[in-house]
Amino acid sequence: MDESFHEFEAELKSLRLRRPSAGLKEHIARALAAGDTAGPVRRYSSATNLGGWKWHGWQLAGLAAVVALIAAAGWRNLSRRDTATPAPAPASSNAFAVAPVPAPVPSASPARLPGVAATNVLYDMKDEGPVYLDGDRAARRVRYRFLDTYTLRNPRTNASLKWSVPRDEIRVLPASLN
Amino acid sequence: MEEAHAPGSWSTWFEAHGPRLLLWARQWTRSLADAEDVVQEAFIRYWRHQRELPGDPQALLVTSIRRAAIDLARRDARRARREERFGRDEDAPFFEPVPGDNAARRQEIEAALRRLPSEQREVLVLKIWHELTFEQIADQLGIPLNTAASRYRYALMALRKELNSLCHG
Repeated sequence: MDESFHEFEAELKSLRLRRPSAGLKEHIARALAAGDTAGPVRRYSSATNLGGWKWHGWQLAGLAAVVALIAAAGWRNLSRRDTATPAPAPASSNAFAVAPVPAPVPSASPARLPGVAATNVLYDMKDEGPVYLDGDRAARRVRYRFLDTYTLRNPRTNASLKWSVPRDEIRVLPASLN
Repeated sequence: MEEAHAPGSWSTWFEAHGPRLLLWARQWTRSLADAEDVVQEAFIRYWRHQRELPGDPQALLVTSIRRAAIDLARRDARRARREERFGRDEDAPFFEPVPGDNAARRQEIEAALRRLPSEQREVLVLKIWHELTFEQIADQLGIPLNTAASRYRYALMALRKELNSLCHG
């Protein structure tokens, strides 16, 4: 290196770097004290931050849809029962009359929503660094983030419901850290 | 940097090394707030999972910060649009005033530093303020050792030339 640069390098080194804000230190202290293994508490929301308001919004919307569907199905059942009161059977003169065969029970009641599809999409994978199992076995902790989507459909009414739930899966994979 | 291995002393350690970590994060982020987020994420990950690992903690953190910053930049394109509308704090200075220093000179250095090509500036930051060797810098950035050394030299030359032209112009 050019000797003439030494003085200039020394001048650069003498500059005092901007210090992190007190807020940053507080956030770190809080996160470390909490011992939260899910990662630091971010001060911003992002697409991969499942704790964000929008995910709560989706969860609430899903819950509201399920409640509404159950309520609608219940109301339909109730109204059918009220209108379809069975007529009294005529008195039979034949003592040996065969007992009436009960009407076939529909295979799917209006309220029933069997699952017809389930998918999951891996949208994020993050290596969270090395961990040690039993004190000495090296491994890496990897977080996989999925969006699981279940589709439920009533075959009679063709009404369907899609339910998407975010899911985190943490895998500890054996690894050599050498 | 060895004191980083002592348990429970994160506050002291961070007090000493936080400023240079923040400066490094700012090479990769659009704002001071983003840089602090990135430092926070990398430091917590380091302190929880990596501080028992052998090697230079600073090198680990430098890598970790760079990755976290790149991740943030990729996934937060929306933030960029928002910042375009509401302004950014990217002009928050890199350096703090010291009693008796030459404020004009400090500001000129910072302005010249910001105008450097990013690949030169990152080598300069790692060499001057993180005190890494060229070998460590090359390893961190995934470039040949000679490239790291030449980028550093070009950065110093460019800085000095610009500051001289300011002095004499």
